Amino acid sequence: MYLTNRHISRRTVLRGVGATVALPFLEAMRPARAAASALDVAGATDPTRLVCIEMVHGAAGSNEIGAQKNLWAPAAEGSDFDLGPSSLKPLEAYRDALTIVSNTDVRNAEAFTAREVGGDHFRSSATFLTQARPKQTEGSDVEVGISLDQMYAQRFGQDTPIPSMQLCIENVDQSGGCAYGYACVYTDTISWAAKDRPLPMVRDPRVAFDQLFGAGGTAEERSARRRADRSILDWITSEVGRLSADLGSTDRHRLDQYLEHVREVERRIHRIEAHNTSGETRELPEAPIGVPDGFEEHVRLMFDLQALAMASDMTRVFSFKMGRDGSARIYPESGVPLPFHPASHHGGKEDRVDKFAKINEYHVSMLPYFFDRLREIEVGDGNLLDKSLIIYGSPMGDSNLHNHKRCPLIFAGGANGKLQGNQHIKAPDGTPMANAMLSVMHKLGMDDVESFGDSTEPMTIT
Amino acid sequence: MRLRATKSRAAALPLLAAALLLLAGWRPAGKTSAEETRTTETGAEEAAVADEVALSQKFLLRNCRACHNARIQRGELDLTSLFEEAPEQHPVLAEKVIRKLRTGLMPPPERPKPDPGDVDRVASVLERRLDDRSARSPQPGSRPFQRLNRAEYERSVRDLLSLEVDAAAFLPPDTVSHGFDNIADVQSLSPTLMQGYLRAADSVSRAALGDPTAEATEVTFKVPRTRSQMERAENAPVGTRGGVAELHTFPATGIYVFKIVLHSTPTGQLFGSTVQGEKLEISVDGERRAVLEIDPFMSESDPNGMNLQSEPVLIEAGPRWVSAAFLERFEGPVDDLIKPIEHTLADTQIGLAHGVTTLPHLRSLTISGPSETTGASTSPSRQKIFSCRPTSASDEIRCAESIVERLAREAYRRPLETEDLASLMGFYEGAAGERGFEAGIRSVLQAILASPHFVFRFEPVPEDTTPGSTYEVAPASLATRLAFFLWGTAPDDELLSSSAALRHSDGIEQQVERMLQDPKAEAMASRFAAQWLRLQDLERLHPDALTYPQYDERLAAALRRETLLFFDHLVQTNASAAELLEADYTFLNERLASHYGIGGVSGDTFRRVEYPDDRRRGLLGHGSILALTSHANRTSPVLRGKWVMEVLLGSPPPPPPPDVPELEATDDVVGGKALTVRERLEEHRANPACRSCHRVIDPIGLALENFDVTGSWRTRDNGEPVDANGELFDGTPLRGPSDLAAALGRKQEVLMTTLTENLLAYALGRRLEPEDMPTVRSIVRRAAEDDYRMRSFIMGVATSAPFRFSQLQPGASSAAGGR
Repeated sequence: MYLTNRHISRRTVLRGVGATVALPFLEAMRPARAAASALDVAGATDPTRLVCIEMVHGAAGSNEIGAQKNLWAPAAEGSDFDLGPSSLKPLEAYRDALTIVSNTDVRNAEAFTAREVGGDHFRSSATFLTQARPKQTEGSDVEVGISLDQMYAQRFGQDTPIPSMQLCIENVDQSGGCAYGYACVYTDTISWAAKDRPLPMVRDPRVAFDQLFGAGGTAEERSARRRADRSILDWITSEVGRLSADLGSTDRHRLDQYLEHVREVERRIHRIEAHNTSGETRELPEAPIGVPDGFEEHVRLMFDLQALAMASDMTRVFSFKMGRDGSARIYPESGVPLPFHPASHHGGKEDRVDKFAKINEYHVSMLPYFFDRLREIEVGDGNLLDKSLIIYGSPMGDSNLHNHKRCPLIFAGGANGKLQGNQHIKAPDGTPMANAMLSVMHKLGMDDVESFGDSTEPMTIT
Repeated sequence: MRLRATKSRAAALPLLAAALLLLAGWRPAGKTSAEETRTTETGAEEAAVADEVALSQKFLLRNCRACHNARIQRGELDLTSLFEEAPEQHPVLAEKVIRKLRTGLMPPPERPKPDPGDVDRVASVLERRLDDRSARSPQPGSRPFQRLNRAEYERSVRDLLSLEVDAAAFLPPDTVSHGFDNIADVQSLSPTLMQGYLRAADSVSRAALGDPTAEATEVTFKVPRTRSQMERAENAPVGTRGGVAELHTFPATGIYVFKIVLHSTPTGQLFGSTVQGEKLEISVDGERRAVLEIDPFMSESDPNGMNLQSEPVLIEAGPRWVSAAFLERFEGPVDDLIKPIEHTLADTQIGLAHGVTTLPHLRSLTISGPSETTGASTSPSRQKIFSCRPTSASDEIRCAESIVERLAREAYRRPLETEDLASLMGFYEGAAGERGFEAGIRSVLQAILASPHFVFRFEPVPEDTTPGSTYEVAPASLATRLAFFLWGTAPDDELLSSSAALRHSDGIEQQVERMLQDPKAEAMASRFAAQWLRLQDLERLHPDALTYPQYDERLAAALRRETLLFFDHLVQTNASAAELLEADYTFLNERLASHYGIGGVSGDTFRRVEYPDDRRRGLLGHGSILALTSHANRTSPVLRGKWVMEVLLGSPPPPPPPDVPELEATDDVVGGKALTVRERLEEHRANPACRSCHRVIDPIGLALENFDVTGSWRTRDNGEPVDANGELFDGTPLRGPSDLAAALGRKQEVLMTTLTENLLAYALGRRLEPEDMPTVRSIVRRAAEDDYRMRSFIMGVATSAPFRFSQLQPGASSAAGGR
């Protein structure tokens, strides 16, 4: 693991001093699971782990030339597809765990009114996991829809100490990041706990680590700190009662929300306590020191944390935003020294489209590292990759035109046997991406969900 | 908490409306109530009003209808209702028209130019109608309660505990709206945020008291690759080069180990191995504590790789400057075949070539410890906290109460109630019973820092306030508003205790004067101006290291500092805001002066410097602005033009249509000749879809083409002479930066309006609405009478109605009213 790799750990991880943390790991919990009924309902005791990854700016393969050259979607459907020309090439070694769903559209990211024309970069991300149409506003009355990861977390994430986590790579506080009358939060996050409740994403690996495992050097110390937090939370609840009498109803409503969060944090602490008293304990690698310099180092560290969190069963649901719309970041390792956003406006010229495909390929090449980590972790009768469903895609298609057609979308992992892998499914023209998402929900055990965003029917994905 | 307003104030609401009118200088002067205003508008006056409205409608029909009618709607703007109805019935449209007319952006160049006198008259009529309407029914507006953002949290902790903390380590990033990070209605709450405040409370309370039982941990300071390793780092001992110097709070007196990592080449050898005998010194508060010898043959494949560490060192608890820096062994230029760039680490391979002298670079410093702790000694934060010491066991409660009382009052920013103290003392008793007096105090401090009273800024609503009605912000809340506006932090004792005087403009002005003299007023520059001018975007810029080798972290910091010092100077000397564009001086240190090509400045200290020529004037001559509006490898006249339009003129250009290629997609070489940025832009503009906007935006930026990506002066771009000629959208010919500054200077009122809008939005923590524009205009008018001096804007905002009053949102009711 990256977190424990000596060569890298020097730079990204706190070492020495022997501050390790004891936590039960999944293997330790195996006996309990084995004891369960043979007819074990996968969805109930061992739900599929869900990781939703967004990359922005679509793909070169969504453009006309790019499609002809199979820069994203391979030519052949079914199992006998060639990844050679595609930006998906780095996944060749994992083709058995790969399901490509091509040719779907994210229609709710398109403009519906004259005012919305041109605002694609500033509403796309909000659309990715919600497949809903963001309300054009700069105020607090933001509205889009509940996101897939949150629907899942609210139903199946309640058994872990943390129902879900949201991570990101790019900084959010630069100006000009949002415009066209769209609130910044549409660009900042892909996770929505309700149609009007955006969730902040964590960029600093150290903050994510502390959220997962708490601060404090030893298990006893962590436990003492959690007790202190609990008594503070109790106290806050009573303080809020005293406060609200003096406030207007808007503020009282805001305080009610705050109280809900207080209770949620209490619940998490309670879960951690319960969790820690079960199973055998293992040592945790030490906490990372902050945001690393490079993109790749940062992404890998975030993947380490996700694998680690799932290995210790702290949470089973992640959303991970690997880019930010309009970003002009240069990825030197991609071999293309062009800033991301300008490169995405390739003007439909073949050489520029090819260069953009290289950047897409570089982003995809981040994934095998994560898959390796997941596959290394043995759980019950398989490994975590078999038990996970990873979504990777973009709510934009041809970024040169800002359209949302033929958007990149792949699934990876076995989803507890629900995805056979080595598949390329090409949707009929005009199929909403929401159809594929709806199908995913059914595979995740949310069979009763009948529609999602602008879905028309679930797609057949095996 | 019981902070209700008294009955008598609630009953005085009608009088408040009158006060509001007077406050903001609303017209017509002398009228004392809304009723009266309405009844006097009779006979001759009504006729005059009808006349001027008719006149403005005629003007709009003649000059705007061709494009902005119900059918064509250029720019999605249909002005039909303004042609037919009174402007005050359509404030949103009318404000748009005023802005375009005042800026001179409309009618566009290809349309006949109306007489400037007419333009001014019509804009004035529209303004007057809107201002009168606002005077008849004042709308101070409202916002939800604010929470402490990262910057405010850090400053509040600094004031409360004399402790420096990095809030980014705990709190999620702040959502920015309209350029500011304190806009209340986008400050969303979440469990992640809640946990952030909790973790911060725990960690900050430990750091403040010092922790004799502190577990060993590690804290690492990274050295950016762009930090020069040739020059001495700020706060590092004299006689050293490079490295890092940071203020670190040692939690307890005990044994610490310092670890460093050096940079290696891509193949794993030490970077900078051409010299032998390099040494790195670890110092604490300027005193040498360890010297590490650097073996030029060290390699990644060694057991310890690029790591070195000191012997264990005993360090006393408290905040101390820690530096890890190389001992300087020679000075002056090295006679090399190739001169390495200013020792940024753009390329670690350079050290492999012969004929290049390279020196080792520090990658990070880690402080590890403590072990064998012997307790916590004195530190500024402990002195701040322990205002008394119990003399006996029976004295502990009394002393604890007095400490808690003071800390909580300061943290809650209001007088305490009996319940407040009682509930906090519960935490003291719990922890003190088990682990003693200090543990008890720490436990209370942790609760205070996590409490909603600290992290939120509640503003109580007076009893019986009805939805939609206006009420005076309670004095303690107003004191808090003032403190966060001017200082970016909580009010001090004097402000809180004189809050009753804040009911009157005189009282507010007195406090503002006092507060601006406090060093904390630097927040006007570092919080307000930095965000208004978008200085945070400097962090995003990493100019191409091979084209701009002189750009390193220290230069970037100097650029930012120049602009902050300049703005702070304007506030402190109460200079005219016109200086923002016109100042013929700036603030430089040696590094920046040589970057600008100005001689006679030596040393690291910034000082006021008069420009020797007219190349640079005001903000548009600041490298910070010129750099943050550039790309890594080229200047961007478009970004520069856009910045001027958005930040200074308050008129953001419309966004580009989606299918237009960016400049990068136009060819940069034609016929074997590399094009200048101007030539590439001209290619780009050949597209008619682009031209209508870019002929407004580009000339502004092109006038600044003599400034390169890093803001230094140049006369050639890609080998061709720089051509900075152009024509401003209002027809003024431009031949370079000084023409641009002068032309924009003639639009003084527009600049002043934009400054006021930003200042007001920042002070209120909400975006401005068309209903706020009458307030903005009245502040600008009053500032005009005072030569647009900076303090008249600040005073204008602090005494304005939206700052002193609030409105219960329609449909909402106060708790009291709802009962």
